[in-house]
This record gives sequence, C-alpha cells and structure tokens, in this order.
Amino acid sequence: MADVPKRILKEIERLNRDPVPGIEVNTIEDNIRYFNVIMCGPSKSPYEGGRFKLELFLPEEYPMSPPKVRFLTKMYHPNIDKLGRICLDILKDKWSPALQIRTVLLSIQALLSAPNPDDPLANDVADQWKTDEKLAIQTATEWTQKYAIEVWAKNPEVKP
Amino acid sequence: MVEVPRNFRLLEELEQGEKATSAGYCSYGLADLEDSLMYNWTALILGPLNTPFENRLYQVLLRCDENYPKVAPKVWFITQINMPGVNQKTGEVDLSTIEYMNKWKPSYTIHMVLEALSEKMTRKESRLPQPDKNSTYKVIRPDSKKPE
Repeated sequence: MADVPKRILKEIERLNRDPVPGIEVNTIEDNIRYFNVIMCGPSKSPYEGGRFKLELFLPEEYPMSPPKVRFLTKMYHPNIDKLGRICLDILKDKWSPALQIRTVLLSIQALLSAPNPDDPLANDVADQWKTDEKLAIQTATEWTQKYAIEVWAKNPEVKP
Repeated sequence: MVEVPRNFRLLEELEQGEKATSAGYCSYGLADLEDSLMYNWTALILGPLNTPFENRLYQVLLRCDENYPKVAPKVWFITQINMPGVNQKTGEVDLSTIEYMNKWKPSYTIHMVLEALSEKMTRKESRLPQPDKNSTYKVIRPDSKKPE
C-alpha cells in the first residue's frame, strides 16, 4: 500500500475529522481503499430507524472512475438489487472526479428517501412500487425492521 | 498493485459472465441469485469438437470461499465425466493436476478455470471412454462454512 494517492488520504482524513451525520465509514482488512459503511435510514422514509451496512472500494483508477459500492444489508428498494448493487447515475456515467466518497454516500442516502421506480434495477420491486406504492412502502418498512433494526439488537457487541 | 477485495472482484466476474451471452463454449453465473456472499457458482462447458466430450454439456459447480481469490475455488463436475484430474466418485476437480491451474494465482478467474478444464478435454490423456450422457454425480458436497 505504498502508493496511496494523496487525494484518498485527504478524503479519509476529512471523513474522520468531520464525519457525515448518520454515516460511519471505517477501513477494513488492511486495505486503505476498502471501507465498511454504516448508513442510517433517512427520516420520513421506510428506511427510518434502520442501520444499513455497505461496502465501498476505491478502484485503482479512482478518482477518474467512481467508487464501487453496494449494500450488504438486504434492501427492498427499486434501485437496489438482490446483491445490493445500486443503480445511481453518479456511480456510472454521471461520475465526476470532483465527487467524493462523502458525496457518493450522501447521494445513496438521498436515494433511500427518493426511490425511482422508473429507472429500476430490481424489476419486481419497481413493479410493486408502481402498482401499489402503499404496499411497497409497507414491505420496505418491514424489511428495515427485520434486517436493519432487529439484527443489531441480536448482536449486542456491535454498538448501535 | 491495488488489491480488489473479494466481493468486488466477484461482482466484476459476475458482470463479465452476464455480458458473455452465448458467446462461446462456456457460461457461468451465481448458483443462488440472492446469495449476496456469492459462494456458489454454476457453470456450463460445452464439450470441444473432435473429443470424447463432443456434443455434451457439462455442468460444473465452483465454490469461492471467503479467501477467494487468494485461494483457488473448489470445483466439482456435476455431470459425470471420465477425465484425469477429476475424482471418479465425487466429480471433484484436483486443480493441481490441471495445466495452467496447478499454481493458483489471485489474478486467475472463474472463467480461466473453465477455460483450463475445456483445454484439458482436448488433451490426449483425456481420450477416454465416457459415462452415459447426462448422468450426474449423486454426492453431497459439504457446504463451506459461511460467516453468520
């Protein structure tokens, strides 16, 4: 890990000094480019109260290429698939090197507040969202309870 | 060298596998599309022309544990095959006997394992009588330990 670009070190330093509210970022496995993220579900969304796990990796080409990021917690969301992959323009063609880990995570948090069933990654979920939004939101709330709230209570060594 | 973590490496391999639609003699994907740990992979190899495997389709199971790609995947033929390097009772492949795979490197991929198996099918030592078409190994393959 000799050649870690300054840009990455600076971002990590700032994340530690000035953390994003509701988002925890920790490096893992002695790989300075690999992070565990815990994201709080935004209020007034079906994800409220949940603490969601993600993993984020800065590829060799970063910041010319976007970070790779996915949810590890099971999500009921039209733009997140069963493997936790996220459909978000800034993670693909709308990426700009001016964006940072911080902005990416905030955008993902915003995506939780504003699901976009017209640009789906999980088709079955998007269909549900379009045909019966109320039921879809109810399912998302139940999944949050089951996979992002109760699991933490079962693992008391992980402080909520 | 930037080390790509296991999960992102497997996601890349999955994408490559999804893109390669009917392009060749092999295909692969996740065995369980909801398994976010991406342990078990299922693959198909089309037997190469002019070999005893011609016109046969071989199903293969690959298991990438938490140490992949530092450690090679475990590989089993599900479809019965008579070929050196494959255990005749269980279908398990001994990668150390497969050319190009005998010294595993983290840069090797699932696709390269399948290529090496396909290449093995074309070798002289593999010109052997084969079991009935479409017969499969009836064995229990122990699940690798999954972190809870």
